Amino acid sequence: MRGARQVKTFGRIHLTASGFAALPLLIVAAVVAALFVFPWLVASPYLLHLMILLFLSVAMGESWNVIGGYCGQYSVGHAAYFGVGAYAALMLLQYKHIAPWWGVWVAIAAALIISLLIGTICFRLRGPYFVLASIAVAEIIRLVVLNWKQLTNGAEGILLVDIPPLMLGGRLVTDWLSKTPFYYLGLILALATLLVNYLVQHSKLGYYLQAIREDQDAAHSLGINLSFYKNVALAISALLTALSGVFYGLYIGFIDPASVLGVDLSVQMVLICIIGGIGTNFGPVVGALVLVPLSEALRANLLSKFLFSIGVVQETSRVGGFLKENLAHAHVLIYGILVVVVILFMPDGVLGFGKKLIARRARPLSATPTPLVGGLDGST
Amino acid sequence: MRVLLQSTASGILIGGVYALVGIGLTIIYGVMRVINFAHGELLMIGMYLTWIIFTSFGVDPFLSIAITIPAMFLFGAFLQRVLINRVLNALPQNQILLTIGLGLVLSNVVMLIYTSDYKIITTRYSSSTINLAGLPISTPLAISLLITTVITAILYFFLLKTDTGQAIRATAQDRDAAQLMGINVKRMSVLAFGIGTALAGTAGALVSPTYYIFPQVGGAFTLKAFVIVVLGGMGSVIGATLGGIIIGVTESLAAVYVSSGMKEVFVYVLFLLVLLFKPAGLLGRSRM
Repeated sequence: MRGARQVKTFGRIHLTASGFAALPLLIVAAVVAALFVFPWLVASPYLLHLMILLFLSVAMGESWNVIGGYCGQYSVGHAAYFGVGAYAALMLLQYKHIAPWWGVWVAIAAALIISLLIGTICFRLRGPYFVLASIAVAEIIRLVVLNWKQLTNGAEGILLVDIPPLMLGGRLVTDWLSKTPFYYLGLILALATLLVNYLVQHSKLGYYLQAIREDQDAAHSLGINLSFYKNVALAISALLTALSGVFYGLYIGFIDPASVLGVDLSVQMVLICIIGGIGTNFGPVVGALVLVPLSEALRANLLSKFLFSIGVVQETSRVGGFLKENLAHAHVLIYGILVVVVILFMPDGVLGFGKKLIARRARPLSATPTPLVGGLDGST
Repeated sequence: MRVLLQSTASGILIGGVYALVGIGLTIIYGVMRVINFAHGELLMIGMYLTWIIFTSFGVDPFLSIAITIPAMFLFGAFLQRVLINRVLNALPQNQILLTIGLGLVLSNVVMLIYTSDYKIITTRYSSSTINLAGLPISTPLAISLLITTVITAILYFFLLKTDTGQAIRATAQDRDAAQLMGINVKRMSVLAFGIGTALAGTAGALVSPTYYIFPQVGGAFTLKAFVIVVLGGMGSVIGATLGGIIIGVTESLAAVYVSSGMKEVFVYVLFLLVLLFKPAGLLGRSRM
């Protein structure tokens, strides 16, 4: 009975064309509205900083998700696009005094060109070979940037002095002095990447990509042009990643090859998706929600403070001093432990794991399968 | 000409160690079809083990491999039993991510214990050279090549002549058929991962007198190990030996004739070229 009623009520407010249920839409709208008023209510710069990091992680994860999640091509070289985007925008700003809202187009163009180059080389390869090739290409770019000192300032990196104020129709929009403009920029970036993911997933392109992910040879025999669609997915992913890179460069104000082109950055993008749930719209959001607070807690030494407060170790003891000194540097450790745990115990990510738990609990209540599997109707 | 000869010689010397790293990786891949992204970190563990033995007991790094090899073998067998064994039938991507995670854990735990300061092992022969037909050759590298050769020879003998070695090769050729023939493939997997880890650890011990020792040193070796293995052909031990030497010489020549900062670029470009034009590797068809 319960199942039947559900169908009825949801059937009325169901937006049939897009396969989008109204309740989740309302929740998303409420969360977005809350995020937009957040800076008015909260003045703490540290909280804003945390939120900006969260948005950046979401944007990076969602960008990678297009190629890695939907298309199944595990690129571990996405730092290339991130770094190229950041370098293009910051070099133009710093050396040529070109404002970032113009420089960003150059960054996008550069990332697209590189993605085409990488795509034509790497997409001839499959599985582990593709992973290795993507790392190798990113490493080549990192080493070239590191050694081309006249152009990129090498290992010293680029320190951003200031960003010109943004004027629109003679009115000052922002002078970039507080964290608020970055907050909104980050929020818009995160929402845009989410939207792109949604659009990709529910378009013909997305179905092609998922077909490629599930079985390349079958997809090929059905007439899907493998290298074309893989390249399209990579181009979308590279574009979004480059935007994240530009945002990172402008916000942090300092870039060097180690921070924006390193392999660990590429790994981080993959981890955000893996931990949250790969190939799903909200997986990277969940991943970022897990990773950012955890690594920030370690960085700010909250964990060692917690250990001291519950009395496991004394702050004044040798072990305590050691933990206080070093635990802050090991925030990457949490990434490693998390990914091992996730792969071993919840291969569908936190999101998939949660869904499974809910499904297990819901099954005894409604014997009839709920027809509300979002997005599947109308696709056949 | 002299410069060319000398850089080739030093390339071969370091290539021997690379070969050891590559052979370890290729045995693991051959038997389990798992690509071990934590291989460089295992080498790093070997380096730290050597450093600990050297600083606390004063044992020479080259002698300490007598302790490093069994210790690393046990460590590898443990990792296989606890972690790798659980993902043998999982998606290859998940296997890769698991080993990446393992690598992160290893390097960060070491960083937590020993900080990221650079450590060095200074022996009395660290900077000495020996004369070989008029070419000065670094003594520690020469000793390490000697040890590498001996270990490789023992490994070949083990794989080709002993029953266990043949069982490992059989498992690498066809896991199911090997199991039907009564080979305990699970034990072979543990053995293979142990041997691979021991080889990586040994390579770490051998380079420790000439390299800086720090927690992040593994990453570069992991990538290089892949280049070597793909160059030689995945799963081929002879290929990995050859690949190691080629990579060592390429690096050494690029460092001398272009710039030492760009030497790795040449390695990666070579890697991409091999992937594109001869994806099976130089000796890809023969399995071990």
